[in-house]
Amino acid sequence: MARFNHKKRRGLVKPPVVKNQPTVDQITGQKIPKSFVFSRGRLPGPVRQLELDLRKLMLPHTALKLKEKKRNKLKDFLNVAGPMGVTHFLMLSYPMSSPHLRVARTPQGPTLTFEVQEYSLAADIARSQSRPSYPKELCDNSPLIVLSGFGGGDQHLKLTTIMFQNIFPAIDINTVKLSTCRRIVLLNYNSETKLIDFRHYSIRLQPVGVTRRIRKFVQKHEIPDLRNLKDVSEFVTRVGYGSESEADEESATVDLASDIGRVNRASNKSAVRLQEIGPRMTLRLVKIEEGLCSGNVIFTEFGKEVENAHPETQEE
Amino acid sequence: MAAVLQTFEAAAAAPTAGRKRKSNHSKAKKPSKKFKRTHMVADKHRQPSNKMKKLFRKRAREYHSDEEEGVDEELPADPSSDEEENGEKDLYVGDYGGGDSEGDEEEHEEGGQHGITRFLEGCRAFKVAFAKIMKKHLQDDPLGPVLSAHKKLVAEKLADEDSEQKMKGETKKLKQSVSIIIIIIIIFSGHVKPDTFLDAKEKLLISIATKGVVKLFNAVSKAQNSLNSSSSKDAKALAKRRKQAFFSELQKPTTQISDSSKRNSNEPGWAPLRESYMLTNTKLKDWDKMAVSGKRMNNSPTPFFIYFFYGLSKSFASASRRLLIDIFLFCTQEPSAEIGAEKVLSDSSSEEE
Repeated sequence: MARFNHKKRRGLVKPPVVKNQPTVDQITGQKIPKSFVFSRGRLPGPVRQLELDLRKLMLPHTALKLKEKKRNKLKDFLNVAGPMGVTHFLMLSYPMSSPHLRVARTPQGPTLTFEVQEYSLAADIARSQSRPSYPKELCDNSPLIVLSGFGGGDQHLKLTTIMFQNIFPAIDINTVKLSTCRRIVLLNYNSETKLIDFRHYSIRLQPVGVTRRIRKFVQKHEIPDLRNLKDVSEFVTRVGYGSESEADEESATVDLASDIGRVNRASNKSAVRLQEIGPRMTLRLVKIEEGLCSGNVIFTEFGKEVENAHPETQEE
Repeated sequence: MAAVLQTFEAAAAAPTAGRKRKSNHSKAKKPSKKFKRTHMVADKHRQPSNKMKKLFRKRAREYHSDEEEGVDEELPADPSSDEEENGEKDLYVGDYGGGDSEGDEEEHEEGGQHGITRFLEGCRAFKVAFAKIMKKHLQDDPLGPVLSAHKKLVAEKLADEDSEQKMKGETKKLKQSVSIIIIIIIIFSGHVKPDTFLDAKEKLLISIATKGVVKLFNAVSKAQNSLNSSSSKDAKALAKRRKQAFFSELQKPTTQISDSSKRNSNEPGWAPLRESYMLTNTKLKDWDKMAVSGKRMNNSPTPFFIYFFYGLSKSFASASRRLLIDIFLFCTQEPSAEIGAEKVLSDSSSEEE
């Protein structure tokens, strides 16, 4: 913070509007879970980028510009978390040259430690796509969460599912507006390799049965080029070739309850199309502890010898 | 060296008080005259026998003759290899060293003869070696004018050191680069950049996620439809009315329009002609209160004309598009009514223009 503001004053400076986020969900009555995403220890370049991507993922109920200093210890975060109503910590660390993600519930909740075996940044994924899109409105609502493959009755898997379900706020089926569901987080457990695939998609709804030209014309404010047409009706009725993914859409059609956007109308079939955004991770569950990075170890991946090999990294 | 020469001179000159010797020596030994005969007094006490004197004379002669011969011999021997010379020099040096030490001892009477003979040889050797050195061109070495063997050794040592340092430097660099590479590999080991965006696994995951979303949306629509039956009814009612209006319009196109222009409050058949069309539940509810070019219009029978007038604002443009959507949707759902659609379209397009 500058002591003396040397900037020129240009007119009246409006005070920044601070949105007071509700702590309690008005509809469900439950507490809205908030999270902090931070790092423990020094992270190399790409892993720091991963931390920022995770913050974007957790929006809006997280601190996007959380300022963490080297000397901040876990206690500091805990002290702040109480009054602010933060319920979950997502901690990235880098012991032994591989990033680890810890998901913990404050103040005394269990801690799940995952080893991130592979990860891709959001920027990499956007680069590999032909038409990346990331509208700002995606971040206004929390993502949905889909957990698949966790079916087994193993204790640690159950705990994982419960933990992830509680990170994101619950939605009430009766009252939710479908236009607010713009993102989805997928956690797929592969029981053979015991790896969890973490993906983050954005949802797009497209009306079924409308040709591409009309849909594009309505969505964008573009006036179409009609000079080659003899009559306007040709614009409407011309049969264009269908895209290859239309066959897949048949199974993905949804009857919408309400109008979404300009194109999708209620009681008309719309197709659900997902586009990947955000980081992509392959996680492996390593450890579950009872306390917040402390306490009894409920589950370890390998067995007893691991408890000595994975010492607690120094709190920074 | 000077002392040695001196003693030799003394030894040589002492037995001969004769001028012959001196005269013989005068030409060759001019510089030696500089040396004073300091040891004359000491040497007078011990006077060697005649035999010895003769021997001395002989030796002196040999010595002097050798010097000249040595010089002559040196010249043709120059082109011989340097190594031999060096070897000889070494020998002479060694001898000289030996001669020197012997010369020191020579002051004692005991072994004086032996000392002298060896001393003579050493001196001779030294002379030869010295001449050789002076003749030979010295390379400008950073080592300086050092005697050859040592020079060689030192040069070799330096070269070795240089090469060692170079090696060390190279290995250091190599090690550093290798370590950097290893570190980089370790840092980026987990980072995967997707080459092909959609491979089979990703497609599978997307399909799983899609199924989840579809389930959710269907559940939501079911729940909401059952709960909010009233709103759905409105939508259906609207749709029904639209269909009715459309069909009626097909049968009586002209009368409809004229009637609509007359009727103000009675709702016309066609949906867009109704007052309440798109004014409920949309942003355009209070469109006449929105400040657009200062004009305010009262309720008019045909909102369509108004849209045409205030085509500047975005909302009106979207409204016009919405109108078009209706038409298009009709087209997609009821292909049999294409002709009617055409007409409507032509009307709307002409009106817009």
